[in-house]
Amino acid sequence: MQSEELIVTEGGLEMDTMFVNMGPQHPSTHGVLRLGLTLAGEVITKAFPDIGYLHRGTEKLMETRSYHQCVVLTDRWDYCSAMTNNLAFCLSAERLFGTQVPPRAQALRVVMCELNRIASHLILLGTYGIDIGALTPFLYTFREREMILDLYEKCCGARLTYNYIRLGGVAADIDSGWVAKCREFLEFFKPRLDEYDTLLSFNPIFLARTKDIGIISKETAVAWGLSGPNLRGSGVSYDVRKSEPYCGYEQYDFEVPLGASGSCWDRYFCRVQEMRQSVRIVEQALAELPTGELMAKGVPKIPKPPAGEAYAHVEAPRGDLGIFLVSDGGAAPYRLHVRAPCFINLAILQEILVGKKVADVIAVLGSFDIVLGEVDR
Amino acid sequence: MSAGADFLDRLLAAVPGSQADTPVKDYPTVRLSAPKDLLPAARLLKDELGFDYLEMVTAVDWLGPVNLGGFVSNPNPNPFTQKHPGPPVSPVAGPGVTYRPVLDLLWSFGDLVKNRKVFLRLEVPRDRAEAPSLTGLFPAADWQEREAFDLFGIRFAGHPNLIKILTPDFLQGHPLRKDYVHAKDRYDAE
Amino acid sequence: MRAEPAASAPGGEASPRPVKAPLPTPVLNRKSGGRLLTDTRFWPTEVWKSPWSLPRYRAGAMWLAGIVLGIAAAGFAVGELAVWAEKLLALLGRTSLPPAVAAWVWVLIKLTCVIGVIVVNGLWAVWWERKISAHIQSRFGPMYAGGFHGWAQTILDSIKLLLKEDVTPAAADQPMHLLAPIMAIAPCVMAFAPVLFGDELAAAKLDVGVLYIFAFASISVIGIVMAGWASGNKYSLLGGLRAAAQIVSYELPRGFSVVPVIMFAGSLDLAVIDQAQAGYWLGFVPRWFVFYPVVGQLAFIFFLIASVAETNRTPFDIPEAESELVAGFHTEFSGIKWAMFFLMEYGYVLLSSFLLAVFFLGGGAAPLPFLDFIPSWIWMVSKAMLMMFVFLWFRWTFPRMRVDQLMDFNWKILLPWSFANIGFAGVLVYLHRSGWGPG
Repeated sequence: MQSEELIVTEGGLEMDTMFVNMGPQHPSTHGVLRLGLTLAGEVITKAFPDIGYLHRGTEKLMETRSYHQCVVLTDRWDYCSAMTNNLAFCLSAERLFGTQVPPRAQALRVVMCELNRIASHLILLGTYGIDIGALTPFLYTFREREMILDLYEKCCGARLTYNYIRLGGVAADIDSGWVAKCREFLEFFKPRLDEYDTLLSFNPIFLARTKDIGIISKETAVAWGLSGPNLRGSGVSYDVRKSEPYCGYEQYDFEVPLGASGSCWDRYFCRVQEMRQSVRIVEQALAELPTGELMAKGVPKIPKPPAGEAYAHVEAPRGDLGIFLVSDGGAAPYRLHVRAPCFINLAILQEILVGKKVADVIAVLGSFDIVLGEVDR
Repeated sequence: MSAGADFLDRLLAAVPGSQADTPVKDYPTVRLSAPKDLLPAARLLKDELGFDYLEMVTAVDWLGPVNLGGFVSNPNPNPFTQKHPGPPVSPVAGPGVTYRPVLDLLWSFGDLVKNRKVFLRLEVPRDRAEAPSLTGLFPAADWQEREAFDLFGIRFAGHPNLIKILTPDFLQGHPLRKDYVHAKDRYDAE
Repeated sequence: MRAEPAASAPGGEASPRPVKAPLPTPVLNRKSGGRLLTDTRFWPTEVWKSPWSLPRYRAGAMWLAGIVLGIAAAGFAVGELAVWAEKLLALLGRTSLPPAVAAWVWVLIKLTCVIGVIVVNGLWAVWWERKISAHIQSRFGPMYAGGFHGWAQTILDSIKLLLKEDVTPAAADQPMHLLAPIMAIAPCVMAFAPVLFGDELAAAKLDVGVLYIFAFASISVIGIVMAGWASGNKYSLLGGLRAAAQIVSYELPRGFSVVPVIMFAGSLDLAVIDQAQAGYWLGFVPRWFVFYPVVGQLAFIFFLIASVAETNRTPFDIPEAESELVAGFHTEFSGIKWAMFFLMEYGYVLLSSFLLAVFFLGGGAAPLPFLDFIPSWIWMVSKAMLMMFVFLWFRWTFPRMRVDQLMDFNWKILLPWSFANIGFAGVLVYLHRSGWGPG
C-alpha cells in the first residue's frame, strides 16, 4: 500500500509521488479512519481507506447476550443517532417474535428517531463547516443539538446512548410539559435552518469548495450500494421510510429531498432539507399522539424467540441500516449482522478520491458523514 | 414483500438446482445449489430483473451456539479466552434448526425502483469456504466480501484485494466462526 | 457562565435587584423516580426573544461603552505621546553621553518600544480574537483568568508557552528548525520601523517607507518555508510550499493596489501619505483616500483582501488549514518557537491594520472636523483596531478557499483589476491636475 514511485505527468515531467497518512489521528477524519494517500504534488493518485481501529466485535458479543441486553450494545454503533440503531434492532427482533407494538409507542419512536435525525444532521452541518474552514456554524448547530439532547434527557435520562426503544415498545413516556418543550424547540429551530443556509449553504466560498466536487452519478451510487442522503444526493429516490414504511411512517406527510448532481454540496443540502422534513414529521406526530400503552403485552424477561430469520431495515440518518437476525430458539441471537450504512458508504472513497486535491479529500470525506463507530462496529 | 413472484420464477428457471427457500420473514429467498450458480444468478438479477443494488453480503456459521453456557454476568470476563470458557452447553436447537458444519452465505439484492428485495443463499462447507466474488458486477461487494473474509474466512474467488479489513493484522482466526477461541494478545488485560 | 434566568422579565420592577423568579415547575422523568434531570430554563429560546430583557445583556453593553469612553479619556490624560518622546530625547541630550552613544541609546529605546508593541499586540490580539470568536459563536470565551472577562488569559498562556518543553522532532533538520521562527519574526519586527502610530509618531522616518515595509514583510515567507521543510513532516512541507506560493503571489496585487495611493500622495513616505489625507470636502467629508471615487474603494478592497492573504488568515489560511494539513508549517513547533510564529502572524495583522489606516482611512485625521481635539494617535490606533476587527471577523465567518481557487482569484481577478485601478487612478489624477477633480 505504501508506495512512492516515479510517475510521468502528461507534460512529460517526471515527478516523485509522496505517500501521506491521513489519520488515524487527524483533525478531520471524523474518528479513527486512516487514509493512505499517494500524492503527486497536491493531486491524489491512489487512495486507500483503512478502517478497523474501532472494531469492538459487537456482532460476536451479541451472540452471548440476551435480546434486551443487545439493545444496549446497539447504541454504540452509530453513537450520533443511537435511537435509530435501537429501532432497527427492535424492529428486527419484533419481526422474529411477531410482536405488535402499541400505537403510542410507535408514535414515540417516530418522534424520537426524527429528533435524532435532526441532531445527527446537525453534527454533520457543524463538522462539515469545520472541514471547509468555517468554524462558526459548528457552535450554532451544537447549540441546537444540545436542546434535543436536553429533551432526550428529560424523557429517557440519557443524552448519547439512550437504550430508549425496547423490544415491544419504548422505555419511558412523555408528558405535556415535554411536548410543549419540544414544540418550543421546533419553533426555535425552524428559523435557525434558514440561518444555516445564509451562513453556510449558500456561502460563495462554500459553494466553490463543494458544488462540483466529488460528483457521484446515479449509476455509480447505486452500484457502490450507497444509501441515505449520499444516495439521494445523486438523485436516486430511495428512502426506507417511503419504500417500506415502518412505525407508521405512511401516516405522515413528508417529502424525500433529492440532490441534482451528486456533488458534495448536494449530499450536504439533502441533509439540510431532510431536517426541514423531520421537523414536519415531528410536528405531525406530536399533534396526534395516540394514548395507550407503551409496551406490548407479554414480552418476557428473557425472550426466546422461535427459530427463524428476520431482516428489518430503517432509514437511519446515515442511510439504510439493516439488521439481519438469526435465532435458533435460544435466548441469545444465534447470529446478528448489521448492514452498516457508513461502512458501505465509505467503500466508494477509494474510487472517487483519485484525481482530487488534498483539500478536496476533506470536502468529499466530510460529505459522506461517516461515524467510525458504525463503520467498524 | 408482495408475492409477485414472476421474477422469482424466472430466477428459479434460469439457475438450475436453485429452489425457493424459507423466506427471511417476508422477503423472497432463493437457495443456490452450488457456488458456480452465483454469478449467473447475480448477473440475471442485475441485468434483466432490475436488481442493481447489492444490499448485503453476510454469512451464518451453523456449527452450533457459542460455547458459553448461559449468559455472562457481572464480573464480566472475556468469554472467548481459554481462561473463562464457561460451562459446556448442550445446544438447544429449536424446531427446524440443525447444527451442521456449514457456512450459510447470504446475499441481499434490492430493486430501488420497484421496491423489491430478494435474498440468495448458498451453503459452503466450513473447511473449504469458497464462493465467487461479486465485485465485478457490484462494486459494493468489495468491502462487504472483505468483511466476510475477515470475520468468517470465506475466500471470494476473483476479489481484487481480499485482505483483512476490520480485525487487526496480528489476530489469528476468524472471530465470527462459532469455534473461534481468542488467543491472548498485548491488548488483553491479564 | 450561564445566562440569567429569562424569567426575570422586563417588567420594570422598582427594586434595584429583581427578586429571582421561582423555579418553573420541574418536568419530571417518570422512570427516573421523579428526579429532575435537566433544567431547560437555560435554553436560548427565551433569550432570543428579547435579549435586552436580560440584565446581563444590558450590563455588558454598559461595560463596552464604559471601556470605549475610558480609552478616550485616557487619551486626553496622556495627550500627545510625541511630546513626551521629544522631552525624553531632550533629556538624553542633556546627559553627558557622547552624541553618537546617545543616538544609539535612542535607537535602542525605539527598538524596545516597537518590540513592545508587537509583543503586547500578540497578547491583546489573541485575547481579543478569542473574545470575538466566542461572541460570534454565541459563547463567552475566556472568563476566569484575571477576573474581568479573562483579561489575563493570554498572559498566562504565554507564560505557559515559555515554560513548555521545546520539542524538536527526530526527523527535523535541527539548525533550520531553530532558525525558522527567528527568520519569520525578525523581518516582522524590522518592518515596523517606519510604521506611523500617530501623526509623525514613528520609530524611523523613511522616505521610502512603503517600499521598505513591503520588502521586509515578504522576507518572512522564507522563515515559513524553512519551517515547513525543516520539520520533517509531509503536512508541514505541503503547508510551507502552499505558503510560499500564496504569499509570493499576493505580494503583487498588494503592491499594485497601493500605487494609486502613492500617486495621490506623491510620496512613499508614510508621514506624507498621512498628511495628504488631512482636511475635509464640503466641510464634513474627510479627504481620505478610501473616499476617492471608485479608485479609493477598489484599492482599499484589493489591499484588504491581499493583506488577509498575506497574513495567512481565513479565508486564505491554506498554509495552516487545520482540517487538511493538521496545522501546516507550524505543526511540529511547540513552546516559544510556536509562539514566535503566532507573534509573527498577529504582528503582520497589526502591520496590515496600520497600513490600511494610513493608506486609506486618513491615518491620524479625525473623521469629522469637530473631533479634531482628540489626539491623532488615538485615531490611528482606533482605525487600526477597527481594521484588525475586520480581520478577525473574516476569520470566524468565512470558509476556507482551495489552493487553486486562491491562485485563480489572485491571478485572474485581483491582479488585473489592481492594474486597471492604477489606470483609473491616473485618470483621476489627470482630471485633478486639469482642475476637474474633486478638491
